[in-house]
Amino acid sequence: MALPIVATLTGLCAPSGSARAEHDMAAMSANHQHDGSEISAGVAVEAAQFDTMSYVGSYQGVAPSIGWMRGRFGAGATLGLYHLTKNGLSLYGVGDMMFTGHAMVFATETVQTGLALHMMAPTGSELDGLGMGHVMAMPSAWATWRADRLSVRASAGYSWALTGTGGAQHNHGPSPLVDPMNMQEVTWSAGGDLDVVHGIRAGVRAEGGIPTGVGSERVIGAGRIAWGTSRLSTAFELQLGLAGDPFTIRGVIETALRF
Amino acid sequence: MRVVVLSFVVGLGLVACTNSSIPEPTQAVCPDPDPGTLTWDSFGQKFMADYCTACHDSSLSHAQRNGAPLYHDYDTLMGVLEIPDHIDQYAGAGPASENTEMPPSQCPSVMGGPLNRACPKPSTAERTDLAVWIACEVKRPH
Repeated sequence: MALPIVATLTGLCAPSGSARAEHDMAAMSANHQHDGSEISAGVAVEAAQFDTMSYVGSYQGVAPSIGWMRGRFGAGATLGLYHLTKNGLSLYGVGDMMFTGHAMVFATETVQTGLALHMMAPTGSELDGLGMGHVMAMPSAWATWRADRLSVRASAGYSWALTGTGGAQHNHGPSPLVDPMNMQEVTWSAGGDLDVVHGIRAGVRAEGGIPTGVGSERVIGAGRIAWGTSRLSTAFELQLGLAGDPFTIRGVIETALRF
Repeated sequence: MRVVVLSFVVGLGLVACTNSSIPEPTQAVCPDPDPGTLTWDSFGQKFMADYCTACHDSSLSHAQRNGAPLYHDYDTLMGVLEIPDHIDQYAGAGPASENTEMPPSQCPSVMGGPLNRACPKPSTAERTDLAVWIACEVKRPH
Protein backbone atom coordinates (compact mmCIF):
# COMPACT_ATOMS: atom_id res chain seq x y z
CA MET A 1 0.00 0.00 0.00
CA ALA A 2 2.86 2.34 0.71
CA LEU A 3 4.02 2.59 -2.86
CA PRO A 4 0.73 3.79 -4.32
CA ILE A 5 0.50 6.33 -1.55
CA VAL A 6 3.93 7.63 -2.39
CA ALA A 7 2.94 8.04 -6.00
CA THR A 8 -0.23 9.85 -4.98
CA LEU A 9 1.79 12.21 -2.86
CA THR A 10 3.51 13.80 -5.79
CA GLY A 11 0.19 14.75 -7.27
CA LEU A 12 -1.18 16.47 -4.25
CA CYS A 13 1.82 18.62 -3.63
CA ALA A 14 2.55 19.70 -7.15
CA PRO A 15 4.03 23.17 -7.51
CA SER A 16 2.85 25.17 -10.48
CA GLY A 17 3.38 23.72 -13.91
CA SER A 18 1.02 22.12 -16.33
CA ALA A 19 3.14 19.24 -17.54
CA ARG A 20 4.11 18.49 -13.99
CA ALA A 21 0.47 18.43 -13.02
CA GLU A 22 -0.45 16.15 -15.92
CA HIS A 23 2.14 13.71 -14.74
CA ASP A 24 0.82 13.95 -11.23
CA MET A 25 -2.80 13.41 -12.18
CA ALA A 26 -1.74 10.18 -13.83
CA ALA A 27 -0.12 9.07 -10.61
CA MET A 28 -3.06 10.10 -8.46
CA SER A 29 -5.75 8.37 -10.49
CA ALA A 30 -3.69 5.29 -11.16
CA ASN A 31 -3.22 4.63 -7.47
CA HIS A 32 -6.68 5.34 -6.20
CA GLN A 33 -8.04 1.83 -6.22
CA HIS A 34 -11.39 2.02 -4.45
CA ASP A 35 -14.67 3.93 -4.59
CA GLY A 36 -14.48 5.64 -1.21
CA SER A 37 -13.65 9.30 -0.72
CA GLU A 38 -10.17 10.39 0.26
CA ILE A 39 -8.96 13.74 1.46
CA SER A 40 -5.32 14.67 1.32
CA ALA A 41 -3.33 17.59 2.63
CA GLY A 42 0.23 18.29 1.68
CA VAL A 43 2.99 20.80 1.41
CA ALA A 44 5.83 21.22 -1.06
CA VAL A 45 8.98 23.20 -0.37
CA GLU A 46 11.13 24.19 -3.32
CA ALA A 47 14.27 26.17 -4.04
CA ALA A 48 15.64 27.12 -7.44
CA GLN A 49 18.28 29.13 -9.22
CA PHE A 50 17.67 30.72 -12.59
CA ASP A 51 19.65 32.57 -15.23
CA THR A 52 17.36 33.74 -18.00
CA MET A 53 17.75 36.28 -20.76
CA SER A 54 16.29 38.98 -18.50
CA TYR A 55 16.94 37.87 -14.93
CA VAL A 56 19.49 36.20 -12.71
CA GLY A 57 18.45 35.10 -9.27
CA SER A 58 16.81 32.48 -7.11
CA TYR A 59 13.56 31.69 -5.37
CA GLN A 60 12.26 29.65 -2.49
CA GLY A 61 8.68 28.62 -2.08
CA VAL A 62 6.24 26.70 0.03
CA ALA A 63 3.04 25.38 -1.54
CA PRO A 64 0.29 23.92 0.64
CA SER A 65 -2.28 21.83 -1.19
CA ILE A 66 -5.48 19.90 -0.65
CA GLY A 67 -6.89 17.06 -2.69
CA TRP A 68 -10.00 14.94 -2.91
CA MET A 69 -10.72 11.73 -4.79
CA ARG A 70 -13.77 9.53 -5.14
CA GLY A 71 -13.94 6.65 -7.55
CA ARG A 72 -12.73 7.79 -10.96
CA PHE A 73 -12.86 11.47 -10.10
CA GLY A 74 -10.63 13.81 -8.22
CA ALA A 75 -9.95 17.48 -7.57
CA GLY A 76 -7.30 19.56 -5.92
CA ALA A 77 -6.01 23.04 -5.30
CA THR A 78 -2.60 24.46 -4.50
CA LEU A 79 -1.18 27.91 -3.89
CA GLY A 80 2.50 28.76 -3.50
CA LEU A 81 4.08 31.44 -1.34
CA TYR A 82 7.44 32.63 -2.62
CA HIS A 83 10.55 34.61 -1.86
CA LEU A 84 11.94 35.74 -5.18
CA THR A 85 15.29 37.40 -5.76
CA LYS A 86 15.89 38.68 -9.28
CA ASN A 87 18.52 41.10 -10.47
CA GLY A 88 19.17 42.25 -6.93
CA LEU A 89 15.54 42.77 -5.92
CA SER A 90 14.13 40.68 -3.08
CA LEU A 91 10.37 40.31 -2.77
CA TYR A 92 7.74 38.06 -1.24
CA GLY A 93 4.31 37.12 -2.51
CA VAL A 94 1.85 34.46 -3.55
CA GLY A 95 2.06 32.73 -6.89
CA ASP A 96 -0.79 31.74 -9.17
CA MET A 97 -3.36 29.38 -7.70
CA MET A 98 -4.02 26.14 -9.51
CA PHE A 99 -7.26 24.16 -9.47
CA THR A 100 -7.39 20.68 -10.88
CA GLY A 101 -10.13 18.27 -11.82
CA HIS A 102 -9.36 14.85 -13.26
CA ALA A 103 -11.10 11.62 -14.21
CA MET A 104 -9.96 8.15 -15.14
CA VAL A 105 -11.64 7.02 -18.35
CA PHE A 106 -10.10 3.56 -18.91
CA ALA A 107 -8.42 1.13 -16.55
CA THR A 108 -7.09 -2.42 -16.63
CA GLU A 109 -4.58 -4.23 -14.44
CA THR A 110 -1.67 -2.72 -16.35
CA VAL A 111 -2.97 0.24 -18.33
CA GLN A 112 -4.85 3.30 -17.18
CA THR A 113 -5.79 6.46 -19.04
CA GLY A 114 -7.51 9.63 -18.00
CA LEU A 115 -8.31 13.27 -18.61
CA ALA A 116 -7.46 16.30 -16.52
CA LEU A 117 -8.28 19.97 -16.54
CA HIS A 118 -6.06 22.43 -14.75
CA MET A 119 -7.09 26.03 -14.29
CA MET A 120 -4.55 28.56 -13.11
CA ALA A 121 -5.92 31.76 -11.58
CA PRO A 122 -3.77 34.92 -11.63
CA THR A 123 -3.33 35.41 -7.89
CA GLY A 124 0.36 36.18 -8.35
CA SER A 125 1.64 39.59 -9.41
CA GLU A 126 2.61 39.61 -13.06
CA LEU A 127 4.61 42.80 -12.58
CA ASP A 128 6.70 41.18 -9.84
CA GLY A 129 7.17 38.00 -11.86
CA LEU A 130 5.12 35.92 -9.44
CA GLY A 131 2.26 35.16 -11.81
CA MET A 132 1.00 35.09 -15.36
CA GLY A 133 -1.48 37.93 -15.11
CA HIS A 134 -4.23 35.93 -16.76
CA VAL A 135 -6.23 32.73 -16.40
CA MET A 136 -4.63 29.68 -17.97
CA ALA A 137 -6.63 26.63 -19.05
CA MET A 138 -4.72 23.38 -19.37
CA PRO A 139 -6.67 20.31 -20.47
CA SER A 140 -4.65 17.15 -20.93
CA ALA A 141 -4.76 13.40 -21.38
CA TRP A 142 -2.52 10.87 -19.64
CA ALA A 143 -1.76 7.18 -19.69
CA THR A 144 0.18 4.82 -17.46
CA TRP A 145 1.50 1.33 -17.92
CA ARG A 146 2.65 -0.81 -15.03
CA ALA A 147 4.37 -4.18 -15.00
CA ASP A 148 5.85 -5.71 -11.89
CA ARG A 149 8.19 -3.11 -10.33
CA LEU A 150 8.21 -0.73 -13.27
CA SER A 151 5.67 1.93 -14.18
CA VAL A 152 5.78 4.24 -17.16
CA ARG A 153 3.59 7.25 -17.77
CA ALA A 154 3.12 9.94 -20.35
CA SER A 155 0.82 12.87 -20.90
CA ALA A 156 0.01 15.45 -23.53
CA GLY A 157 -2.05 18.59 -23.32
CA TYR A 158 -2.68 22.03 -24.60
CA SER A 159 -2.45 25.20 -22.55
CA TRP A 160 -3.81 28.54 -23.51
CA ALA A 161 -4.25 31.93 -21.87
CA LEU A 162 -7.81 33.10 -21.41
CA THR A 163 -6.95 36.76 -21.87
CA GLY A 164 -10.59 37.56 -22.66
CA THR A 165 -11.44 36.93 -19.00
CA GLY A 166 -9.65 40.09 -17.95
CA GLY A 167 -5.99 39.15 -17.89
CA ALA A 168 -3.00 40.64 -19.56
CA GLN A 169 -3.17 40.89 -23.33
CA HIS A 170 0.51 40.47 -24.02
CA ASN A 171 2.97 37.66 -23.94
CA HIS A 172 4.57 37.65 -20.49
CA GLY A 173 7.73 36.01 -21.76
CA PRO A 174 10.04 33.77 -19.81
CA SER A 175 9.89 34.05 -16.05
CA PRO A 176 11.27 31.49 -13.62
CA LEU A 177 8.07 31.22 -11.60
CA VAL A 178 5.64 31.29 -14.51
CA ASP A 179 4.86 27.91 -15.96
CA PRO A 180 3.51 27.54 -18.63
CA MET A 181 5.58 30.37 -19.99
CA ASN A 182 3.84 30.70 -23.34
CA MET A 183 0.39 32.05 -24.07
CA GLN A 184 -0.46 28.94 -26.08
CA GLU A 185 1.55 25.79 -26.03
CA VAL A 186 1.46 22.04 -26.37
CA THR A 187 2.62 20.41 -23.16
CA TRP A 188 4.08 16.96 -22.75
CA SER A 189 5.62 14.76 -20.12
CA ALA A 190 7.06 11.27 -19.93
CA GLY A 191 8.69 9.30 -17.17
CA GLY A 192 9.11 6.08 -15.30
CA ASP A 193 9.42 4.81 -11.75
CA LEU A 194 10.96 1.69 -10.29
CA ASP A 195 10.18 0.05 -6.96
CA VAL A 196 13.67 -0.05 -5.47
CA VAL A 197 12.88 -1.70 -2.15
CA HIS A 198 9.74 -1.91 -0.08
CA GLY A 199 8.34 1.59 0.35
CA ILE A 200 10.91 3.33 -1.80
CA ARG A 201 10.60 4.29 -5.46
CA ALA A 202 13.05 6.03 -7.74
CA GLY A 203 12.26 7.55 -11.07
CA VAL A 204 13.16 9.93 -13.84
CA ARG A 205 10.98 12.08 -16.03
CA ALA A 206 11.04 14.87 -18.55
CA GLU A 207 8.48 17.51 -19.37
CA GLY A 208 8.22 20.41 -21.72
CA GLY A 209 6.24 22.96 -23.62
CA ILE A 210 6.16 23.75 -27.32
CA PRO A 211 4.71 27.16 -28.19
CA THR A 212 2.08 27.25 -30.91
CA GLY A 213 2.56 30.99 -31.43
CA VAL A 214 5.12 33.44 -30.15
CA GLY A 215 7.23 31.99 -27.38
CA SER A 216 10.04 29.69 -26.48
CA GLU A 217 10.30 25.93 -26.14
CA ARG A 218 11.36 24.51 -22.81
CA VAL A 219 12.45 21.12 -21.52
CA ILE A 220 12.93 20.03 -17.93
CA GLY A 221 14.55 16.81 -16.77
CA ALA A 222 14.15 15.40 -13.27
CA GLY A 223 15.17 12.56 -10.99
CA ARG A 224 13.04 11.60 -8.02
CA ILE A 225 13.04 9.39 -4.97
CA ALA A 226 9.95 8.82 -2.88
CA TRP A 227 9.28 6.97 0.34
CA GLY A 228 6.55 6.70 2.91
CA THR A 229 3.89 4.83 4.79
CA SER A 230 0.20 4.35 4.12
CA ARG A 231 -0.65 7.69 5.70
CA LEU A 232 2.38 9.92 5.45
CA SER A 233 4.56 10.12 2.35
CA THR A 234 7.52 12.17 1.22
CA ALA A 235 9.32 12.66 -2.05
CA PHE A 236 12.36 14.60 -3.22
CA GLU A 237 12.92 15.64 -6.79
CA LEU A 238 15.90 17.36 -8.38
CA GLN A 239 15.06 19.15 -11.62
CA LEU A 240 17.30 20.60 -14.31
CA GLY A 241 16.29 23.18 -16.86
CA LEU A 242 17.53 21.65 -20.11
CA ALA A 243 16.15 24.21 -22.56
CA GLY A 244 14.13 27.40 -22.56
CA ASP A 245 15.52 29.00 -19.41
CA PRO A 246 12.87 27.88 -16.90
CA PHE A 247 15.58 27.57 -14.26
CA THR A 248 19.05 26.10 -14.02
CA ILE A 249 18.36 23.78 -11.08
CA ARG A 250 15.43 23.25 -8.74
CA GLY A 251 14.92 21.00 -5.74
CA VAL A 252 11.46 20.10 -4.46
CA ILE A 253 10.61 18.13 -1.34
CA GLU A 254 6.98 17.19 -0.81
CA THR A 255 5.08 15.64 2.04
CA ALA A 256 1.44 14.60 2.13
CA LEU A 257 -0.97 13.17 4.66
CA ARG A 258 -3.90 11.15 3.41
CA PHE A 259 -7.12 10.66 5.37
CA MET B 1 -17.13 15.10 -14.41
CA ARG B 2 -18.89 17.50 -12.06
CA VAL B 3 -15.59 17.95 -10.27
CA VAL B 4 -13.88 18.99 -13.48
CA VAL B 5 -16.60 21.51 -14.26
CA LEU B 6 -16.52 22.83 -10.70
CA SER B 7 -12.76 23.34 -10.85
CA PHE B 8 -13.17 25.26 -14.07
CA VAL B 9 -15.88 27.51 -12.66
CA VAL B 10 -14.01 28.20 -9.43
CA GLY B 11 -10.88 29.02 -11.37
CA LEU B 12 -12.68 31.53 -13.51
CA GLY B 13 -14.46 32.98 -10.53
CA LEU B 14 -11.22 33.78 -8.76
CA VAL B 15 -10.27 36.10 -11.58
CA ALA B 16 -12.80 38.61 -10.35
CA CYS B 17 -10.69 39.40 -7.28
CA THR B 18 -7.24 39.30 -8.81
CA ASN B 19 -5.09 41.05 -11.37
CA SER B 20 -6.49 44.51 -10.87
CA SER B 21 -3.66 46.30 -12.66
CA ILE B 22 -3.15 45.40 -16.30
CA PRO B 23 -0.63 47.21 -18.50
CA GLU B 24 -2.35 48.37 -21.67
CA PRO B 25 -1.30 50.35 -24.74
CA THR B 26 -2.19 54.02 -24.40
CA GLN B 27 -2.99 54.27 -28.11
CA ALA B 28 -1.38 57.70 -28.15
CA VAL B 29 -0.78 59.07 -31.64
CA CYS B 30 1.83 61.42 -32.98
CA PRO B 31 0.30 64.56 -34.53
CA ASP B 32 0.51 64.70 -38.31
CA PRO B 33 2.71 66.38 -39.28
CA ASP B 34 5.10 65.61 -36.43
CA PRO B 35 5.66 68.97 -34.68
CA GLY B 36 9.06 67.81 -33.44
CA THR B 37 8.55 69.45 -30.04
CA LEU B 38 9.02 66.24 -28.05
CA THR B 39 12.43 64.73 -28.75
CA TRP B 40 15.08 62.73 -26.91
CA ASP B 41 17.02 65.91 -26.23
CA SER B 42 14.06 68.08 -25.23
CA PHE B 43 12.07 65.51 -23.26
CA GLY B 44 13.00 61.84 -23.34
CA GLN B 45 16.48 61.97 -21.86
CA LYS B 46 15.42 64.05 -18.86
CA PHE B 47 12.31 61.94 -18.28
CA MET B 48 14.35 58.77 -18.23
CA ALA B 49 17.01 60.29 -15.97
CA ASP B 50 14.39 61.59 -13.54
CA TYR B 51 12.31 58.44 -13.28
CA CYS B 52 13.96 55.39 -14.82
CA THR B 53 17.73 55.11 -15.12
CA ALA B 54 18.41 54.62 -11.41
CA CYS B 55 17.63 50.98 -12.27
CA HIS B 56 17.25 50.87 -16.08
CA ASP B 57 20.78 51.81 -17.09
CA SER B 58 23.07 49.78 -19.30
CA SER B 59 26.02 50.32 -16.94
CA LEU B 60 24.31 48.46 -14.07
CA SER B 61 25.14 44.85 -13.28
CA HIS B 62 22.53 42.23 -12.37
CA ALA B 63 22.68 42.84 -8.63
CA GLN B 64 22.53 46.64 -9.03
CA ARG B 65 19.34 46.71 -11.08
CA ASN B 66 16.84 46.29 -8.22
CA GLY B 67 14.78 43.90 -10.31
CA ALA B 68 14.93 45.73 -13.63
CA PRO B 69 15.19 43.20 -16.47
CA LEU B 70 18.37 43.00 -18.48
CA TYR B 71 18.23 44.88 -21.80
CA HIS B 72 15.55 47.21 -20.49
CA ASP B 73 17.95 50.15 -20.50
CA TYR B 74 16.81 53.70 -21.12
CA ASP B 75 20.02 55.68 -20.86
CA THR B 76 20.16 55.98 -24.64
CA LEU B 77 17.56 56.66 -27.30
CA MET B 78 18.40 53.37 -28.96
CA GLY B 79 17.72 51.59 -25.68
CA VAL B 80 14.29 53.17 -25.47
CA LEU B 81 13.54 52.25 -29.06
CA GLU B 82 14.29 48.59 -28.32
CA ILE B 83 11.03 48.29 -26.34
CA PRO B 84 8.88 51.40 -26.94
CA ASP B 85 5.60 49.49 -26.55
CA HIS B 86 6.67 48.15 -23.17
CA ILE B 87 7.48 51.64 -21.89
CA ASP B 88 4.14 52.93 -23.18
CA GLN B 89 2.28 50.11 -21.43
CA TYR B 90 3.99 50.58 -18.09
CA ALA B 91 4.44 54.35 -17.77
CA GLY B 92 2.53 56.17 -20.52
CA ALA B 93 -0.84 57.92 -20.50
CA GLY B 94 -3.14 58.35 -23.45
CA PRO B 95 -6.66 58.00 -24.79
CA ALA B 96 -6.95 54.31 -23.93
CA SER B 97 -5.19 54.07 -20.57
CA GLU B 98 -3.08 55.76 -17.93
CA ASN B 99 -0.40 53.29 -16.95
CA THR B 100 1.25 53.84 -13.57
CA GLU B 101 2.97 50.51 -12.96
CA MET B 102 6.30 52.30 -13.32
CA PRO B 103 8.09 53.82 -11.51
CA PRO B 104 7.49 51.45 -8.57
CA SER B 105 6.97 52.54 -4.97
CA GLN B 106 10.63 52.32 -3.86
CA CYS B 107 13.73 53.59 -5.66
CA PRO B 108 17.45 53.95 -4.94
CA SER B 109 18.73 57.41 -4.08
CA VAL B 110 21.84 56.71 -6.15
CA MET B 111 22.04 54.73 -9.38
CA GLY B 112 22.36 51.05 -8.58
CA GLY B 113 22.06 51.60 -4.84
CA PRO B 114 19.63 50.09 -2.34
CA LEU B 115 15.93 50.92 -2.37
CA ASN B 116 15.87 53.64 0.26
CA ARG B 117 13.39 56.28 -0.83
CA ALA B 118 9.97 56.73 -2.36
CA CYS B 119 10.18 56.94 -6.12
CA PRO B 120 9.48 60.31 -7.70
CA LYS B 121 6.39 59.97 -9.86
CA PRO B 122 5.73 61.61 -13.21
CA SER B 123 2.65 63.77 -13.48
CA THR B 124 -0.19 62.77 -15.76
CA ALA B 125 0.96 65.46 -18.17
CA GLU B 126 4.45 63.99 -18.23
CA ARG B 127 3.07 60.50 -18.81
CA THR B 128 0.96 61.86 -21.66
CA ASP B 129 4.01 63.52 -23.19
CA LEU B 130 5.93 60.26 -22.79
CA ALA B 131 3.34 58.33 -24.78
CA VAL B 132 3.14 60.96 -27.51
CA TRP B 133 6.93 61.26 -27.69
CA ILE B 134 7.27 57.50 -28.11
CA ALA B 135 4.55 57.50 -30.77
CA CYS B 136 6.49 60.17 -32.67
CA GLU B 137 9.98 58.81 -32.04
CA VAL B 138 9.27 55.37 -33.45
CA LYS B 139 8.29 56.97 -36.75
CA ARG B 140 11.38 59.14 -37.07
CA PRO B 141 14.46 58.03 -38.98
CA HIS B 142 17.36 56.94 -36.77
